Amino acid sequence: MAAIELEGLTKHFGDVVAVDDLDLTIEEGEIFGFLGPNGAGKSTTIDILLDFTRPTAGSATVLGHDAQAESLAVRQRTGVLPDGYHVYDRLTGRQHIEFVLESKAVGQDIDALLERVGIAEAADRKAGGYSKGMTQRLVLAMALVGDPDLLVLDEPSTGLDPNGAREMREIIREENERGTTVFFSSHIMEQVEAICDRVAIINRGQLVAVDTVDGLREATETATTMWISAADVDEAMLEAVADCEGVTNAVYEDGQVVVTLFGGSKYDVLKTLDSAGATIADFSVDESSLEDLFVQYTTEEQEVRA
Amino acid sequence: MSWLAVAKKDFRDAVQSRALWALLAVFVFFSVITTYAYVEVPEAFGAQSGEVSFAGMVFFLAGITGLFVALSAIVVCYKSVAGERELGSIKLLLGLPHTRGEVFLGKVVGRAAVIAVTLGIGLLIGVGFGALLLGTIQVVPVVLFVMTAVLFAGVYATIIVGLSATTGSTSRATTLALGFFVVFELAWDVVPLGVVYVANGFSMPQQMPDWVFLVMQIPPSSAYFSSLVALLPAFADEANAQTQAAGFDAFYATPEIGFVVLALWLIVPLVVGYVRFNSTDL
Repeated sequence: MAAIELEGLTKHFGDVVAVDDLDLTIEEGEIFGFLGPNGAGKSTTIDILLDFTRPTAGSATVLGHDAQAESLAVRQRTGVLPDGYHVYDRLTGRQHIEFVLESKAVGQDIDALLERVGIAEAADRKAGGYSKGMTQRLVLAMALVGDPDLLVLDEPSTGLDPNGAREMREIIREENERGTTVFFSSHIMEQVEAICDRVAIINRGQLVAVDTVDGLREATETATTMWISAADVDEAMLEAVADCEGVTNAVYEDGQVVVTLFGGSKYDVLKTLDSAGATIADFSVDESSLEDLFVQYTTEEQEVRA
Repeated sequence: MSWLAVAKKDFRDAVQSRALWALLAVFVFFSVITTYAYVEVPEAFGAQSGEVSFAGMVFFLAGITGLFVALSAIVVCYKSVAGERELGSIKLLLGLPHTRGEVFLGKVVGRAAVIAVTLGIGLLIGVGFGALLLGTIQVVPVVLFVMTAVLFAGVYATIIVGLSATTGSTSRATTLALGFFVVFELAWDVVPLGVVYVANGFSMPQQMPDWVFLVMQIPPSSAYFSSLVALLPAFADEANAQTQAAGFDAFYATPEIGFVVLALWLIVPLVVGYVRFNSTDL
């Protein structure tokens, strides 16, 4: 059974399309990385999974439960490390965990849990005095309460030093070996690469790639970026290019059509553009690395949008 | 019983806040000062020193309690939901298996408990102090008085938490809470007068229409005062505390109307707050 299933998931905030017709299936037992720049729609998607936000269209099913109608059942079996959270400054670490135990109606050894995330010695201090990294560990401990079937971690490495990030990854692996599905978001390719079975790259609310890390790497080796200097280019031409076999992305910026191509024919792209009426002056080709690929998918398009 | 966990957490959080202890100190201080002033310098409030009575003291204290509860409810509750949304701690709260309704109810109960406990202690100390000065105490009326005040505090907490639940911005929550206070507690006397003035062809009639009484009962503190008169009629007579219900004949011309108004002030904010909070994107 799928741990998370998104079908045509769409969310508009006024005129802004935060999530655009997302289809995604995450199998039970996977460690799934959700990769994209800030503002790509990662947090909105996660907010919908947890019913913080209601979708404009489409559906989200989590652990077999509808994310809207049966959200309580979803959250009973899910551990959450949200994005942009804030702890209760006046409550101690122990009191935070006690609150989670009570909320989930489970019993667990609080000290052992805090030991596991490395803040046992701060258990009885008020969380308001914790450093960013300690707070992150506390919230991770809260997410681990009750051995959840699904861990949803939004930017889990925020505020952690490299050592902390490594410990975080170890805990994620341990949980996964216990059978927990892990869905985590990040804007850093490296973190995702290190631990994930599969990765989805999201940009401007749309999925631009879903594959295993190895698959992405292989694709990268055949991935090509074409820079075509051309005049008289319009939206329709870009769409025609995007429809060419192997093309995943086509944008027009600074007089250049930038096309990302997986194994397709460069000639087809040029021919399509030419026969559509564009005036091609020159073109160059660039084979990209995995990191470049991510940057290409995301950062540059963000800039175009801005 | 998920709301209970939220209420407990909220109360626990508040108990460790200095603001709570400050609030308790203020309540104790104000009730002791009030009773002291009433017993020792009644002339200042237009009474004769011979007229000082236990009943008079209770109603004098009640008059000021209305204002104090309103202000402390605003201070304690205006950020209750909006603040958690603005900071983001609501994501920890709702990442756990609580429904929005349970979180809202837990907030109402937790904050109401904070005000009710501090107010209850403050009033008991004040009344006890006054009883010592007067050398007399009547236990049953005191219990009824404190219980009514505590219930009133609960109603006011519900109103302000309800307002807070309609928005994700603390500045808007502040505006709503203060606006509520200004409209219903400060400016309300003028509202029926204005309506009567306009309805009477831009002049004041000789006699106020009966419905003005009903309109004047709408502010929560007025409703609280009427409820107290209804609960302690003998005391109210002795203290010369009236609700202006006398003098005309209508089914609503009774101090018991206060309970109805308080009940409405409990239900309406609960419904409005819940509906808004439940349907919003966090």
